[in-house]
Amino acid sequence: MYILKNALKSITRNKLRNFLIGIIVLIISISACVSLSIREAAEAAKEDTLSDLQVTGTISFNRQKAMEEMKKSSSSSSSSKSSSSSTKTDRSKFDFDVLQGSSLSLSDYKKYAKALKSGDSYYYSGAVSLNATGKILPYGTSEDDDDSSSSSSSSKSNSNSGNMQPPGDNNNNNSNTQNNQGGMGHQPFQVNQGDFSITGYSSYKAMLSMFGDDGSYKITKGKMFDETSDALECIISNELATYNSLKVGDTIKLANPNYEKETYKLKIVGIYKNSDSSSEENNRFQMNDPANNIYMNYNAFTKIIKASAKANHKMTDSDGNKTSAKLTENLAFTYTFKSVDNYNSFAKKVYKLGLSDDYTVNSNDLQQYENSLLPLQTLSQTAIWFFIIVLAVGGVILITLNIFNLRERKYEVGVLTAIGMKKAKVALQFVTEIFIVTFIALIIGTSVGAAVSVPVTNTLLANQIQSSQSTGNNVKENFGFKNDDSNTPPDNNGGPMGDMFGQSKAQNYVDSVNSATNLFVVMELVLVGLFLTIIASLAALISIMRYEPLKILSNRS
Amino acid sequence: MSILKLENISYHYDRSKVMVLDKLNMDFDEGKIYTIVGKSGAGKTTLLSVLSSLAAPTDGKIFLNDKDITKIDRYKFRSKYVGVIFQSFNLLTHLTALENVILSMDISGKKFDRPKKEIALELLRKVGLDEEEAKRRVLKLSGGQQQRVAIARALSYDPDIILADEPTGNLDGETQDEIIGIFRMLAEEGKCVIIVTHSPDVAKASDITYELKKPDKAS
Repeated sequence: MYILKNALKSITRNKLRNFLIGIIVLIISISACVSLSIREAAEAAKEDTLSDLQVTGTISFNRQKAMEEMKKSSSSSSSSKSSSSSTKTDRSKFDFDVLQGSSLSLSDYKKYAKALKSGDSYYYSGAVSLNATGKILPYGTSEDDDDSSSSSSSSKSNSNSGNMQPPGDNNNNNSNTQNNQGGMGHQPFQVNQGDFSITGYSSYKAMLSMFGDDGSYKITKGKMFDETSDALECIISNELATYNSLKVGDTIKLANPNYEKETYKLKIVGIYKNSDSSSEENNRFQMNDPANNIYMNYNAFTKIIKASAKANHKMTDSDGNKTSAKLTENLAFTYTFKSVDNYNSFAKKVYKLGLSDDYTVNSNDLQQYENSLLPLQTLSQTAIWFFIIVLAVGGVILITLNIFNLRERKYEVGVLTAIGMKKAKVALQFVTEIFIVTFIALIIGTSVGAAVSVPVTNTLLANQIQSSQSTGNNVKENFGFKNDDSNTPPDNNGGPMGDMFGQSKAQNYVDSVNSATNLFVVMELVLVGLFLTIIASLAALISIMRYEPLKILSNRS
Repeated sequence: MSILKLENISYHYDRSKVMVLDKLNMDFDEGKIYTIVGKSGAGKTTLLSVLSSLAAPTDGKIFLNDKDITKIDRYKFRSKYVGVIFQSFNLLTHLTALENVILSMDISGKKFDRPKKEIALELLRKVGLDEEEAKRRVLKLSGGQQQRVAIARALSYDPDIILADEPTGNLDGETQDEIIGIFRMLAEEGKCVIIVTHSPDVAKASDITYELKKPDKAS
């Protein structure tokens, strides 16, 4: 008891010194509290987002790898016969291989679905282009649209295989498109665009994934197509309906763009309205005016494809060769996962089910999720380093202070031990002093730290996001887009090409945290306090334990 | 029966073979004042450190009431059985006289029948310090007053043996007499007072004087 009393007396006696120690501990504990809170906030944000995350994954052909391999083999084979024709043959062979390789069939996808765990599921959609025939006209054809991408894509001149962009992913983050089917520069073939894009969905869920759940799409007249029926029923946009004076119950006639005589009749069961202009902007890049998008269920859709294959009309291409004019669906197959673990296990297991190494499994939302956390994670890492440095520097300062402190107090140690106080008790008193000072400073520091941690975290996070975005803008500038966010409204920023780099609509970063300091952080801070006490007392303990009370006799000053 | 008995006490420093104390035999009884005199280098301070258990003898035995003190914890011995008055007082200068006295009472771990503060003030009064002086910081007391505080501290836990190292070395003649008077009073109360000194006056005032001689060169 008298040890505590002595310790308290000693603290009040050496106000300045203890104030200094207290200030250092205060600084350490504020920094520690903020750093640990940032880390905690990052963890919390990670878990929060993760629990809400619907992980979807796709299997896609690794074009880059295929191209590299192809180059290798073609260069070795063409080295012997260097004629230009052989090079050309190789090229077309390469294109063919890439195309063949890149398309998995529905049954393939379903086979790989065996790698899913319980709770996981999948959906898919097929897309094909069809031309207008008869009375119906595609929306926007009479307008002189000066948007180059729109006009070129709506022209009928280029016809090949009825291929077009799959719509399945265009609601997802664009930044990752190079890994998937979309994106500029990854279209080895001329894409044929008919007047209308017909998309068949395996389920409403598949549609939902495309349209997003923000409610921008809405059935305004009629009803949704039947999810299971294979009747040729569809829904059309209200623009198209108004443009052609179509109403629910009408039938539209559409033709194979490769073979105009091959026609299909679709019954309109519903008219939808898309109120989100920005997603229209997105879609315009990918296909025709979105008003010309026609949706139906996959069962009905696949009937069209089968019928076209059965008819198997022939056409003549630009080189004069006869090729099949049948419609080729563009399949988008998406696996949905209950958790990230399930996704990871799928990504491994699917290769065991015979998926070639040329394919990769990827998940846009997982990528997006990781990207969204990037600033917070970077900040968290920086904070931890900062914490370690502050702790180390603070520790060194405390040790130094206490070594000096102890030189002054050697006499005191000598007297106390000479009159019979045990060294351990002297040490205990010294440690108690440091402990009291440290914990008072720590309590103040934690309170201050807890109060400022949220605003500080959010400010630092804002800076971090800004710097990430400026990096993104640099990327954009590299591709020749002016970086003038300040003057241009975000929707027009860089046009549709800007979107492609995922910059115009900034990555959805986690940009604020609500609470940062929790009980766990406080517990860690208590440990920090103990650590500092031990560090600071270490010098005192060692020198007290080594002190020989006999020395007091030689102290005759 | 002597309260403290030295039997063949020898001492030499760790690395030196020179014997500082060589086979000393001494007896100390209660109620008497002993002085240990000798020239510089005769081992007076060494003997004091052995007596106060600050240093352990290289050879020989010390008995406290016929009990070998090597069997007693050295710190316990210092804090309970022997009161040491150091030549340089060794008070905690930032504490008051009273706090110094109470501190050593705390350290002894002894139980007291009255409040420590009361006992301490009484002791300080006994050695000639009033309450105002008792509550002054040691640093602000004169040498003689500090000496008195040191004595009061040594007495605070009521040890049987009082050890004093040159207790009059820094004091003028009048104060010296007063201090000797205090020691005499303590001896009359039944304490065993051992004074290490080179002052003939102090030696004269004591009951028994031991003279230390420089031991012969190491054998």
